[in-house]
Amino acid sequence: MKLPMIASVIAMRWFSVVALRLPLINSPVMLVIAVSLVVGLLMVLVFRAVSDQKAIRAAKDQLKAHLLAVRLFQDQLPVVMQSYGRILRGTARYIRLAFKPLLLVILPITLLIVQLDRYLGWMPLQHAQPFLVRVRAVSPDALNEVSLELPREMALSAPAVHLPADSEVVWRVVAEINGTYNINVAAAGETFSKQVVVSQDLARISPTRRRDRFWERLFTSGEPALPTNGPIQSIEVAYPPRNIDLVIFESNWIIVFFVLSILAGFVFKSILGIEI
Amino acid sequence: MKWPIAPAVRKPGLLNLVPVLVVVIGLVLLFPVRSEAYAGPGAGFAVLSSFWTLFVAFLYSVYAFLTWPFRHVLRLLRRRKAYGKAQVTRAIILGFDGMDPELADRFMQEGKLSHLAKLRDQGTFLPLRTTCPAISPVAWSTFQTGVNPGKHNIYDFLARDLSSYLPFLSSAQIRGPKRRLRIGEYSVPLGKPEIKGLRRGTPFWHWLGKAGIFCSVIRVPVTFPPEKFPGVLLSGMCVPDLKGSQGTFCFCTTRGAGDKFREGGVRIPIERHGSVFRSYIPGPEDPLATNSGSGLRVDFELRADLRHNQARIEVDSQKFTLKIREYSEWIPVKFKAGLGFTARGICRFYVKQLSPEVEVYVTPVNIDPGRPDLPISHPVTYSIYLAKLFGPYATLGLAEDTWALNEEVLDDQAFLAQCYANHEDRERMLFDALDKTPQGLCVCVFDTTDRVQHMFWRYLEDDHPAARKVPRDQRPSVIEDLYRRMDDLIGRVMDQIDDKTLLLAVSDHGFKSFTRCVNLNAWLHQNGYLALNSGKSESGDWFQDVDWSRTLAYTMGLNGLYLNLKGREREGIVEPGTESETLKNELRTKLNGLVDPASGGIGITGVFDCDAVFAGPYVDNAPDLIVGYGAGFRASWDSVTGRVTTQLFEDNTKAWSGDHCIDPRLVPGVLFCNRKIAEEKPAIVDVAPTILKLFGLGLPTYFDGKPWTVAPEPSK
Repeated sequence: MKLPMIASVIAMRWFSVVALRLPLINSPVMLVIAVSLVVGLLMVLVFRAVSDQKAIRAAKDQLKAHLLAVRLFQDQLPVVMQSYGRILRGTARYIRLAFKPLLLVILPITLLIVQLDRYLGWMPLQHAQPFLVRVRAVSPDALNEVSLELPREMALSAPAVHLPADSEVVWRVVAEINGTYNINVAAAGETFSKQVVVSQDLARISPTRRRDRFWERLFTSGEPALPTNGPIQSIEVAYPPRNIDLVIFESNWIIVFFVLSILAGFVFKSILGIEI
Repeated sequence: MKWPIAPAVRKPGLLNLVPVLVVVIGLVLLFPVRSEAYAGPGAGFAVLSSFWTLFVAFLYSVYAFLTWPFRHVLRLLRRRKAYGKAQVTRAIILGFDGMDPELADRFMQEGKLSHLAKLRDQGTFLPLRTTCPAISPVAWSTFQTGVNPGKHNIYDFLARDLSSYLPFLSSAQIRGPKRRLRIGEYSVPLGKPEIKGLRRGTPFWHWLGKAGIFCSVIRVPVTFPPEKFPGVLLSGMCVPDLKGSQGTFCFCTTRGAGDKFREGGVRIPIERHGSVFRSYIPGPEDPLATNSGSGLRVDFELRADLRHNQARIEVDSQKFTLKIREYSEWIPVKFKAGLGFTARGICRFYVKQLSPEVEVYVTPVNIDPGRPDLPISHPVTYSIYLAKLFGPYATLGLAEDTWALNEEVLDDQAFLAQCYANHEDRERMLFDALDKTPQGLCVCVFDTTDRVQHMFWRYLEDDHPAARKVPRDQRPSVIEDLYRRMDDLIGRVMDQIDDKTLLLAVSDHGFKSFTRCVNLNAWLHQNGYLALNSGKSESGDWFQDVDWSRTLAYTMGLNGLYLNLKGREREGIVEPGTESETLKNELRTKLNGLVDPASGGIGITGVFDCDAVFAGPYVDNAPDLIVGYGAGFRASWDSVTGRVTTQLFEDNTKAWSGDHCIDPRLVPGVLFCNRKIAEEKPAIVDVAPTILKLFGLGLPTYFDGKPWTVAPEPSK
């Protein structure tokens, strides 16, 4: 029974590592569509493997029966009210049955979304396009010692702005050519680097490097943690957020993924005869 | 008796990880940021599905509440008419097909039926006069319409085609669409099949429904196709299987070709391919075929596991394990024709043996109540509602496979298991109908009483020819057990009723032993009324080799005797009028009191002239004479199918050992009621007018039955 779970995790990993290299889906729209289809399929397979299909089918059938009862016996108010009560109880039972498999698919899906969000949540920086680098220190006093060291391909386009109230200092930077760079922030005799991606392509992006807790870092950073006792709390590069353009509307990729993966799931569940 | 079914599939063991995952996911959710706000399509499905259900329920609620005042006023207006003079707020009629008053009385005397005895003591227990002939479709048609067969047009299970002398089902006709489009090798039907009910008259629940009294009607015979009325109805006896027959079982076997089954089943070979056995279930005719005779089929595979006495069966991508001598659950099967045409049904598998030969019995393929290809309920959603509520159930009119037991494909135990499984489904439907009908009429007919008595009467008698193989001390008390079960059911229903509820338990006819077969066609042949082609001493089924140009009379079906009337039958030779009347009188005189030389018993105790016993617009379709066989006798199996043999009387050695298609005076049904009924000789035709009167409705003038005088309150 663990096999479908393992298979789904491997498949997700494969997608995040290998599929992105394929030219056909080196486009955010295509990638979201492809991932939604595959995830929709995998989820229904996992759901089938880990759920009590017989009980779910029975719960759904009971719900449908009570709904039909409302229609069939509509002139008898006590019967109708009784059916409403049964519908509510049936819905609770169905949700309880769906909850167990749901728990089992949430974890891999969450991890997958975190991974995909690195690619699809933000756009890489464009050359000649100014962007902000924001460093948060542990205290306003530490701001005086903070400096920014840029690679040759980048330059400051404005002087640093100190925000003592927030213990922050902000630089406006511009990159001259595409590439993946490390910018260095020096403070109290130590140097801390931060990755900056300047590209036209789909690329893995980590907007923040931070020293905070593991779970928070898991969802917001793709880089190693800053030293816990160091003078810097976080280094953030302001990447522009990405919207997926589906011609008729534009939206965050997660919403598109939500809609498409559900549609795909419903199609696959019908084809494969899976009760959800 | 328990209904043995395949063991349930185990739930996945991965669910044991749930507590760990709950902790992990809980930790994840403690730190919500943008990217995990959506937990994937699984959550989406659950939310959407449950939301959808609640949303639909909400819409229904709004609709119901908004329209309720108007509907309530309308209902009150209609109900005032109905309930204004009503003596009851609810009537429950339990039909026990074939429950016999003599047996019921005997078991009550022996203290075995406490609830029925209570009804007898506090209310009424009387024999209920049946119809002529005493056949279920005839009697139940009279029950529901309140008229004699001359007005409802049902005289037997079968009627005859005057142009071909061949039989057809008397209650309904199903015809394919008239127009078809030829596309290459296909002949595509344009339109739906035409289903035509042949029973005439108006069931009394139509009158009640029109007056605003809600009715739940479950499995009353001859209610297919279901008619529209303000209430719910599930059709009963005469609903066909998916093949369109009244039940064709399938016996798959690795044995060589055996004898063809006389009726009711087909033998299908099982082929062995290594360790896999392959066979198929025959289905309906291919709707796209240009020539008749090309049937659809569903293949299945069987893998025998002799060590565990079980088999793994795969059919239509469904896999299940079945122990020997166990029934599967209802398995949905899909017969696929071309161009996306399909026919859906359900059936049960029963592995009879796996070694040395493999033998699998498959029930007739029933119409799937959850996705009916033909309408089997009114409204159509009622059968779906029941299927969703209780799971799939038998929809075939004659769902208990008596033919399979007769042909020894099933044994006693397997047959009883099938009967009581169907009976339990019916009980669930009844109690749901009682729950849903707090006011109004609830009618439910149970067939088990009829089928079990037909098949097990042999064990009631010491010397029944069909029981000679079974030692007397090993004969089970099946019929006593049957009556006890029905008594228990009545007890549970009695627990649910109040003083304003009328409870009737009725049967359409009683039962008698069937030890001797009478081939009336043989008698007609021997006495010069029926002629065979020259050189023939016997005929095949359906009058093969009968010389109609010299035949005066013939019989087919259970009780009907027909004159070969000129201008009516295709090759009729008897002149209507004096000649036909003379012939009828002659036949009546000769047949009445016909003695069986071997047993000394009277084979025929009454021959009834249709002109005397029937009246109404459909009398012309009636047999000319109805033959009333004596107790212990019945039309022979050959005679029923229009076969002429040389032997007039013979022993009945089939499991089908009790019957009621005899002189109607010998087989009245039962009438139990929780109130006193002041009527000495109640008849089944009186039920409809009695119910209408109890609800305060006027009676249609064409009714033949008379309402009983029923006490206003149950006796204490």
